[in-house]
Amino acid sequence: MPVHPAILALIGVSLTVSALLALAGAFAIGVVRHWDLTSGSERQLRLERLTYLIATLVAFAFVAELISLLLLVYTAETLSDQFVGAMCATGVLNANPWGWPALFLKIVVFFSGAAWLTLNRVDTRSRDYPLVRPKYALLLGLVPLVWMETGVLLRFLLNLDPAVIVSCCGALFSPAGQGVAAEVSGIAPAWGLALLYAAALPTLAAAWWARRGAGAGLPLAGLALLHYVLALVAVVSVIALYVYEHPHHHCPFCVLKAGHHFIGYALYVPLFAATAWALASGVIAPWRTRPGLRALVDAETRRLAGRSLMALLLFHAVAAWAMLSSGLRMAGVWW
Amino acid sequence: MIELRGVGKVFNQGRHNQQWAVRDVSLRIETGQLTCLRGPSGSGKTTLLALIGCLARPTLGRILRDGEPLSGLPERFMAELRRRTFGFVFQRFNLIRGLSVLDNVMLPAYPEAPAHEELRERALGLLRRFGLGNLAGQRVEWLSGGEAQRTAICRALINRPAVLIADEPTANLDSRLSAEFMGIAAELVASGKTLIVSSHDPRVYESPAVQRLVGLRDGRLEEA
Repeated sequence: MPVHPAILALIGVSLTVSALLALAGAFAIGVVRHWDLTSGSERQLRLERLTYLIATLVAFAFVAELISLLLLVYTAETLSDQFVGAMCATGVLNANPWGWPALFLKIVVFFSGAAWLTLNRVDTRSRDYPLVRPKYALLLGLVPLVWMETGVLLRFLLNLDPAVIVSCCGALFSPAGQGVAAEVSGIAPAWGLALLYAAALPTLAAAWWARRGAGAGLPLAGLALLHYVLALVAVVSVIALYVYEHPHHHCPFCVLKAGHHFIGYALYVPLFAATAWALASGVIAPWRTRPGLRALVDAETRRLAGRSLMALLLFHAVAAWAMLSSGLRMAGVWW
Repeated sequence: MIELRGVGKVFNQGRHNQQWAVRDVSLRIETGQLTCLRGPSGSGKTTLLALIGCLARPTLGRILRDGEPLSGLPERFMAELRRRTFGFVFQRFNLIRGLSVLDNVMLPAYPEAPAHEELRERALGLLRRFGLGNLAGQRVEWLSGGEAQRTAICRALINRPAVLIADEPTANLDSRLSAEFMGIAAELVASGKTLIVSSHDPRVYESPAVQRLVGLRDGRLEEA
């Protein structure tokens, strides 16, 4: 394992988060089994007192997880100069079989954590803990996921061997290759862009609708998820090509390099944030029908949808700017 | 009405010095009355007042106000309710030295962020009502015991609370000032406030202003 501060930070964050969630998981079992607001028993009052502390710990843990997703990508990108054959994060993630699962699990934990934080926010803004059971039940589901992510991440980081020659983005994100990355790279740019805008228009409309308080959390979440997938497809199939000014370089990670002015961060951060906020609005939507929660859920949905809308617009502005300002001219070839 | 159902409070729970300050107290306190908690030192009066006023949470049992649970509220609502519903007069008044009488009175209203001029007028109105209008600019460390107590009462009333809680309000006062306090208490009850005071001073619990007497001993209720 290369000794690098970012690797140590990633390991530290993952172990700390896993430990915190172990503690919170034990508490969550107590809440799910014994929570009874009508009781004045010592156990119930202890649960009420502790729920704030535990929720705060878990909130910090998930915020750390959100940041560590960025850190993982940054670390993989930074380490690429230590691996023979690696030019970007793709090569480092290919260095052993745990790299890609670690990244995907981090992304799943990122979105799950965002959903939990939103449930927690709604719950703590109510007088009678209306979502305390669903919130801790969801947490119980997330504990093994986070542990798995920690396990996979540790295997990835601890088994990094700079002596191994890796293949990088040129091989993986090539239409000539095999697998999902190759398939996505092979999508015609015109189709990639058409699919992106076909998903973007209804997603933006749903965000606008939900922002006005029309209770459109679920449609927004569904559309944003679809948009997220198609946006990543569009990055690989067309947007990245304009950034590199190269019609055959599809890598979604080289855009994070300084040579491309770190434009990848300006694309991915708004995209991930917009999707997380939209998904969160979908997670709280089912509780809109519960008496006393409608106004709170509507207000929260408006807030989330507004943020999601802004982040979506930012993503599309950056993507459009990247393509329009590029020196690559493919009129008559792609268009 | 404030209702206590099987309320208990333990300190240092699970340690060798565990102490039950209040045990199994069930009680109803009527609105618009002066209720006095009587008991010797260490009987749990201050702890019970702190529980009723949401300054502390019970270890078991529930406290309700007009049927709505108070003691189980999440902290953000608890703080809001404490500020708006309860006013406190502490045994040692707890005025903030270095600040003027007026600033001390206005302080608890700042989290509510009313217009400053309106707040200032409200505070001056209270000070005038309690005969302290000419001391508004004076620093509190220069006040006499009676003046400090009336300042503490004004501060407790600044957020227009429905319930005023006073812990041993006459402990540091002579007979004349104690009688003056009971007069003020009777006036406040007449104006619709609910007053809950704790005392082991006969000048308080034997006062005709007291409408209900609740005895406490070793943290438990005793028949008054």
